[in-house]
Amino acid sequence: MGKIRVLIAKPGLDGHDRGALVIAQALRDHGMEVIYTGLRQSPVQIAQAAIQEDVDVIGLSSLSGAHKTLFPKVMEALRERNASDIPVVGGGVIPAEDIPYLLEQGVNKIFTSGSSTEVLATYIQQLIDPESAFITPPKKIAHIGIAVNKIDDVLSFYTEVLGLELEGVETVESEGVKVAFLKIGESRIELLEPLKESSPIKQFLTKKGEGVHHIALEVDNIDERLNSFKSKGIPLINTEAKQGAHDSQIAFIHPKAANGVLFEMCQHPEGSEK
Amino acid sequence: MSDEKFRSQQESWKKSVDRTLERFPERKDTFKTSSDIDVERLYFPDNDNDYENKLGYPGTYPFTRGIQPTMYRSRFWTMRQYAGFGSAEETNKRFRYLLEQGQTGLSVAFDLPTQIGYDSDDVMAEGEVGKVGVAIDSLQDMEKLLDQIPLDKVSTSMTINAPASVLLCMYIAVGEKQGVPLEKLTGTIQNDILKEYIARGTYIFPPKPSMRLITNIFEYCQQNVPKFNTISISGYHIREAGSTAVQEAAFTIANGMAYVDAALESGLDIDAFAPRLAFFFNAHNNFFEEAAKFRASRRIWAKIMKEHYQAKDPKSWKMRFHTQTGGSTLTAQQPDNNIVRVTMQALAAVLGGTQSLHTNSRDEALSLPTEESARIALRTQQIIANESGVADTVDPLAGSYYVEELTDQIEKDVEAYLDRIHEIGGAVQAVEEGFMQREIQQKAYETQKNIEKEEEIIVGLNKYKLEEEVNPDLLKVDEALEQAQIQSMNTIRQQRDQKAVDYSLEAIKENAKDSNANLIPFILEAVKVYATIGEICNVLRDEFGEYTGI
Repeated sequence: MGKIRVLIAKPGLDGHDRGALVIAQALRDHGMEVIYTGLRQSPVQIAQAAIQEDVDVIGLSSLSGAHKTLFPKVMEALRERNASDIPVVGGGVIPAEDIPYLLEQGVNKIFTSGSSTEVLATYIQQLIDPESAFITPPKKIAHIGIAVNKIDDVLSFYTEVLGLELEGVETVESEGVKVAFLKIGESRIELLEPLKESSPIKQFLTKKGEGVHHIALEVDNIDERLNSFKSKGIPLINTEAKQGAHDSQIAFIHPKAANGVLFEMCQHPEGSEK
Repeated sequence: MSDEKFRSQQESWKKSVDRTLERFPERKDTFKTSSDIDVERLYFPDNDNDYENKLGYPGTYPFTRGIQPTMYRSRFWTMRQYAGFGSAEETNKRFRYLLEQGQTGLSVAFDLPTQIGYDSDDVMAEGEVGKVGVAIDSLQDMEKLLDQIPLDKVSTSMTINAPASVLLCMYIAVGEKQGVPLEKLTGTIQNDILKEYIARGTYIFPPKPSMRLITNIFEYCQQNVPKFNTISISGYHIREAGSTAVQEAAFTIANGMAYVDAALESGLDIDAFAPRLAFFFNAHNNFFEEAAKFRASRRIWAKIMKEHYQAKDPKSWKMRFHTQTGGSTLTAQQPDNNIVRVTMQALAAVLGGTQSLHTNSRDEALSLPTEESARIALRTQQIIANESGVADTVDPLAGSYYVEELTDQIEKDVEAYLDRIHEIGGAVQAVEEGFMQREIQQKAYETQKNIEKEEEIIVGLNKYKLEEEVNPDLLKVDEALEQAQIQSMNTIRQQRDQKAVDYSLEAIKENAKDSNANLIPFILEAVKVYATIGEICNVLRDEFGEYTGI
């Protein structure tokens, strides 16, 4: 599809438009087409502008406390013009306790003070075009997984010969593996040793012998990404994200999807990455 | 200058202070620290080094060190908390509470319909009545707002711009009813339309007729209400919109020059109106930069008034200003942290020599302040004043290498902006071209990006976050208020002398056409017969047209 078109509107008499202007510019920087109404728009004017400009989404900003009156009026004006399919998001000085009421009135989401423009842009992208939404590329290689028969036998190569720092060794019961992490720049090498016959690593070793097992990519929005992969028919080993090491959420893509390379996607909770 | 001459000038300044002290004694006979060290009124260097030129003595040109010789040793700054919400009765209650709590001046927040000259029943007012301030439709609301508040003793600041003339007239009319002579009324109207176009958004008319209303007020007040500050030239909102400290000072001073030019053009004498010009600045978090900004601004304004405009009265050279701590620096996350931010910002304002101060409440990123939050904000000022000792000497930051360098640098950067604005053709032209708006918006966007990239750390927002935020109790404005306000306005409309109203509105209309007429006496007449703010502004809208942005 073409560029996403956004109407940023200031309903009512409120003159605070720093937020509206910053958001307009941020969304433009994310490749969207943004129309800003200017100050003092009535709900009817906003609905008319949205229809006339054929926008995909409306963003309302209010800092004067009039949101409980004005946001529902915008929804009503859209309904009256058979345009209630245009999603509406809101922001400004909006107390948490008012949010459920606004959502009930049909507003899709409220972004309050302190929200990041990145999150808003991603939200709008997903809302309008779920297929392409998460196309924010993976951020980095989180780690490279190497299957080994016994960690203790090979560790000295990594720590002494290569001089890498051993961060820790842990057991992941669900996978039946013992894992050693070695830090290398912003990434890691992950040594995987099977602890039981049923472990997928054991099967890999039996079939292919020791060597590179998978490449893990650090991503955002892992759930949305999986949904989109599913909708595109990408073969997956895990159709839902599951718990990985260090509180991360992980999922594997089937090697069929990538010429025999096994990719893992992992998402760490915000701020926890070292 | 020889050291000897320098010392003799110090002596002569000290003597001149002695004369002032006879009229305005200091708060205490001696000031001491907790260790019994004497605190002198003023500390200064032993030798010259440009001292007289750049700093001078407090109360003397160029006022870098303050506009009075003894500053807070005589009297603390005025503690003036901006307040107003809902009905006039409710706001009157909050005012009387704040005065009982030791506040020394009032500051009225009006709701948006009032600020943009709409009656509460106007279709544009829907949902906004009483939300960000008190709703005032007619003189009756003003009478309720100021009930039992003695206007000869309390000074009142009104944040009102486009319809400033109407609210000023209502205030004068209430004063008359209380039997207070006009020359005893003290206070300030914001009346600064240029920053409305730049940053705040409550404009009504286009620049030219707006500037006329402003100079009409200058002239009327000089003759009739001489102690009223006729304008508060505001950098506050420019800063809130995202500007830097330098841009705040530069655009405010440029706007100030535009008002001076307009008044001179309308035939007023500089020394007749310049002493009533007041300023209004913001105080953000960068502590030393903020303090330096105030000191630099005073020096720049003094030079402009004395050298550029050739004002003769030293009162015309003094930049007097109100300060409010920075609303946009407050976070909705962990709101109690805001108390600490406000404390630092208030301290910077005091060290910068402010004449009055509003400290924000911790919950202002979430809604209007509750009574408890407003009290903590006021107590913050009282603690600084009474407990910290910073008010015991004048301009304690002077002589710091860092602060003096910052003061010089800010002055230089501000002057560079003033030159650019002069090249564009002055502040009015720059506003119409959107120059200041663009400069500010670019900074606002940079700031947002820096916060998101965590290059700028905001505690509780992008670092040191809490998993789960606690929702504090917030002030709620009664949604039923709008109907009650409309009801009471309709009652007034039925009870008043409609003929007198029509006659007075017609007189405003006729005189609006004549650009040489002063509209204030006609607006005062209309207000007295209970014409509403919407009726008066609509007459002016018909004559002047409306500004629609760029």
